[in-house]
Amino acid sequence: MVKVVEVSDSSQQKTLRGHEAPVLSVTFDPKDEYLASSSCDGSVVVWNIEDQTRVTSWPLLQKTNDVSNAASLCRLAFQPAAGKLLAVPVETRVHLYERGSWDQVGSLSDELLTQPVNVAAWSPCGRFLAAGAVGGLLTIWDVNSRLVVERQKHEKGFTVCSLAWHPSGSQIAYTDTEGCLGLLDGLGTSGTGSTTAPAAKPAKGYDDLFDEDDDRLMDEGLSDANSPVKKAAVAEDEDDDDFLIASTGRVRNRGAILDDENSLDTGSLKLGQDKFGEDDDDDAGSSVAPAAAAAAPLRPVYDGPVPTPPQKAFQPGSTPAHLTHRFMMWNSVGIVRGYNDEQDNAIDVEFHDTAVHHAMHLTNSLGHTMADLSQEAVLLACPSTDDLASKLQCLHFSSWDTNKEWMVDLPQGEDVKALCLGQGWAAVATSALLLRLFSVGGVQREICSLPGPVVCMAGHGEQLLVVYHRATGFDGEQALGVQLLQFGRRKRQLMSGEPLPLSPKSYLCWAGFTAEGTACYVDSNGLVRMLNRALGNTWTPVCNTRETCKSKSDHYWVVGAHENPQQLRCIPCKGSRYPPTLPRPAVAILPFKLPLCQTSTEKGQMEEQYWRSVLFHNHFSFLSSSGYEVDEAAQTQSDKEQQELLMKMFALSCKLEREFRCVELAELMTQNVVTLAIRYASRSRRMNLAQRLNEIALEKSTQLQEDEEPEEEPEFSSDRRTSGYRQTEPYNTRQNDEQQEEDEEECEEEEDGREMETEETKRRLNPFAKESGLPAKPSLTPVGRVGRSNPFKVADSGKPTSSSGQARVSNILDNMRSSRKLAPLSGSAGKPSKGPVLKPLAPRTKAKAQSTLLQISSNKTANKKTLEAAEPAADLQKQPDTAAPPAENTENKRPKTGFQLWLDENRKIIIADNPDLDETDVIKEAMGRFRTLSADERLLWTERAKGQSGETADVKKRKRAENEAVESDESNARKKMSSLDPSSKLSAFAFSKN
Amino acid sequence: MDPSEVEFLAEKEFVKIIPNFSLDKIYLIGGDLGPFNPGLSADVPVWLALNLKQRQKCRILPPEWMDVEKLEEMRELERKEDAFTPAPSPYYMELTKLLLNHASDNIPKADEIRTLVKDIWDTRVAKLRLSADSFIRQQEAHAQLDNLTLMEINTIREFLLGSLNCMYKLRSNLQPGATKGQFGDY
Repeated sequence: MVKVVEVSDSSQQKTLRGHEAPVLSVTFDPKDEYLASSSCDGSVVVWNIEDQTRVTSWPLLQKTNDVSNAASLCRLAFQPAAGKLLAVPVETRVHLYERGSWDQVGSLSDELLTQPVNVAAWSPCGRFLAAGAVGGLLTIWDVNSRLVVERQKHEKGFTVCSLAWHPSGSQIAYTDTEGCLGLLDGLGTSGTGSTTAPAAKPAKGYDDLFDEDDDRLMDEGLSDANSPVKKAAVAEDEDDDDFLIASTGRVRNRGAILDDENSLDTGSLKLGQDKFGEDDDDDAGSSVAPAAAAAAPLRPVYDGPVPTPPQKAFQPGSTPAHLTHRFMMWNSVGIVRGYNDEQDNAIDVEFHDTAVHHAMHLTNSLGHTMADLSQEAVLLACPSTDDLASKLQCLHFSSWDTNKEWMVDLPQGEDVKALCLGQGWAAVATSALLLRLFSVGGVQREICSLPGPVVCMAGHGEQLLVVYHRATGFDGEQALGVQLLQFGRRKRQLMSGEPLPLSPKSYLCWAGFTAEGTACYVDSNGLVRMLNRALGNTWTPVCNTRETCKSKSDHYWVVGAHENPQQLRCIPCKGSRYPPTLPRPAVAILPFKLPLCQTSTEKGQMEEQYWRSVLFHNHFSFLSSSGYEVDEAAQTQSDKEQQELLMKMFALSCKLEREFRCVELAELMTQNVVTLAIRYASRSRRMNLAQRLNEIALEKSTQLQEDEEPEEEPEFSSDRRTSGYRQTEPYNTRQNDEQQEEDEEECEEEEDGREMETEETKRRLNPFAKESGLPAKPSLTPVGRVGRSNPFKVADSGKPTSSSGQARVSNILDNMRSSRKLAPLSGSAGKPSKGPVLKPLAPRTKAKAQSTLLQISSNKTANKKTLEAAEPAADLQKQPDTAAPPAENTENKRPKTGFQLWLDENRKIIIADNPDLDETDVIKEAMGRFRTLSADERLLWTERAKGQSGETADVKKRKRAENEAVESDESNARKKMSSLDPSSKLSAFAFSKN
Repeated sequence: MDPSEVEFLAEKEFVKIIPNFSLDKIYLIGGDLGPFNPGLSADVPVWLALNLKQRQKCRILPPEWMDVEKLEEMRELERKEDAFTPAPSPYYMELTKLLLNHASDNIPKADEIRTLVKDIWDTRVAKLRLSADSFIRQQEAHAQLDNLTLMEINTIREFLLGSLNCMYKLRSNLQPGATKGQFGDY
């Protein structure tokens, strides 16, 4: 239904009925006689207004049920003035109907028009018809000749939904479905029917040019008649001229655009370019050649890669310079705000921490546009003007003298493009591709050339990050390079011009350092990347800020990053890329998250946590290597966290029966955690896994050894050490002091080892000793001395070393081959089912014999009391015992180990029993010791190979780690154990004190 | 309860502040606060926020509900509904008063917010009076009022309980009291 209403008084209303679906478009006949309408029912109808009747109807369009579904808006148009023709967009053509007869008299088409025509509009003179199509193609025909006069592509390819001619006929205004208004200028169509190349002359006062041009074209066009072939030739000729014109035009256009950024959209249509970058001004610069090439009609459009306009230099943490109220800098120190309106041109400096300095208000008489802020100074810079050089101003507020400000003029023709402040220095990158360094007090320092136009700079401590244009990017990409320089004592270049990875079609938004001094940056896709020093200075994506945005147009404006705690500080901006100065935005904190796969699963989560933890604690090594103080506590904390995660992953893959994966994980662990893993594996009855882990533990221990003593073979060294240990033991016995210093032990051991090397028997003994010694080390807590002395006394004193040694040797050999047997024996007590599994257990027994740790106290005391319980275990062990070595030691030890194992399996019972027993404490201690023993045994076992005395120092740490690890294990395996652990430890300490 | 006591309770509510000093965690009986990083928001109880604010050590971020649009919505809802709507915060009145009195410079459109909260308060108190009135008039034994805040209960408690007591006395005096009197007379 179409209604016609008299506008002036709405007195007359006429209703035209007949459309069966929503009406798409209506147009009046210039003579007010007819009215044409198109509708979703597919028909285009001409009505007689007076009679309210349908004059004619054509079923031209596709039927749809709603306007939103229509392929084309089908905006009709009557020819102005006489209204002789009605233009109807149909598919990719425009049909022309003659008034009166309503016959189709022609059809306008273009081979480049591949999408439906949306809009048709007549020029005021009625000679030309412009059509806008879906996909953004604008085409202008000369109606008389039915030939294309001009075609333009909307630079962003948005659908043109409306067109309007300037009354003079030289410009077309158009709108697109994304809400942009554009102006198509320089239409050379006001002349006669010449179809020569219409010079696309973008924007800005081309009227004069037009007239001349048109006149000339007219002449030639007239003389040429309408033969297409000839025309083409003419077009070729014309082309050259046009090219010149066009190119000059381009240049002018470019200048104009550079002058006025806000006018970007006018004249943004360029001849025959299919692809445009995002920024208009770049197009102007880059499109000269393609535009010329496309000037000739019907010439194929250039659709190769188009260079991207290089992004402009910016200050990270600032909002765009054209704003009247803007942030010139927002960083971890404070905020610099710039005001530039009628009343005021000022700069406000405000510090987050008012202890640094009080807020400052400066008048910005020089027109500073760039700022940086550090704990020491404010650095400001302005670009040069016609008569004034570019200036650098520094407010050095932390200076202790009275002169707190200095200013430097840059050489003529050199503009500051980016600046930054570090600790004690300031850096300025200029348009002359120079990097100038100043001290914060104003002394000029080094100067060097940059490989390309700077994009931004960031400073932190002694590090300077420079991002520059490495080359021209294509198709929306930026080609950036990055340099990382380090000043200070040893000046060097950490990164020399590596390409800076960016997300596809994005540009750099922020670059800087974390509070700990690791470089990171953010691109326009919201991806935050951080330098990974451990992986050869590569960049690891650590956060995607867009993931947390609710809507497409929301962004996070990053102002800083911290590695410990892991925080990305940013300001949420609704519907924009940067925040307004008022109301004062609040900083939000985003967590980091590595984009690993399947982080919704437990495995993925832990992997992500682990690698994130590793990545975010890289800075410890960096800081310590560059001589800064490192927070030891935080470092050990992070190590612990990582190892715990590894252990959890290990347990998880154990559950999933992924033993290979377990081994892979074990390779990432530290040695003492591996021993834990071994225990875990053996307890969960994965003998194969435990064996492999043993190998890994061995490797790790030998590695450790090699690090310390690269010359010696691991095994030998281990033997020696073990021997050393043995010998040390007597030493220990002499020194019954509970607290032997690890260093002493090491020395002793080494010495002993050297001595021992010569004697094979001793060597043989050594392995044995090792085992014993190893546990002693873990036990380090001096407690064990007494115990040590006892077992040793038994072995050493009771039996000549040679004899005992041989016996032991056999045992040892057994251990090497069948250490598993031994282990199972000892382990068997604990876990009868697992015969071969536990090598660590085997060392335990020996270790126990040697009484390394708490064992003595715990074992003896506890064992004696619990002997009954232990006996069954001992019985189990006895069979292996036969094969096993020195009776006394083994016996003593075995029962103990058996007891422990027994305890392990029958903890609940014991626990239940404990409360009843008076000696609950003792039992607990015993249990705790059992555990520690087991851990120690593992250690011992692993250390057997090592035989390192050096590890003793680590023992305490290990214990802690183990306990923690145990706790984590416990969650999986034994909760009760865990509860016992601390008490056991405590008891152990108490013992040691005794 | 005294209104100041209610206000005291309200001071335990947490608000966000942006400190301009840096301080490690502080350990208080009521819980650990901080750490405070300049420029980063931290949650602290209102009493501390006000104290810091008075010493110009922080900016207070208004609670989420303290926003003109949200309050307008609530006001409309409150006016439309016969029953009480959930209050923006259990201490909305107290917090508004405290924050606006001490930190109005940190709260955008402080005056509008003051008016809006006062409107909401008035509406709610009017409802409260109305319901008290009908409660008494119909001589109900009990009534249930949801979504009241402590301050609102407190405003009417004194009066309502007192008057109920009075009425009880009066009513009970009518019969037994009267008889007693008669007995006494006799």
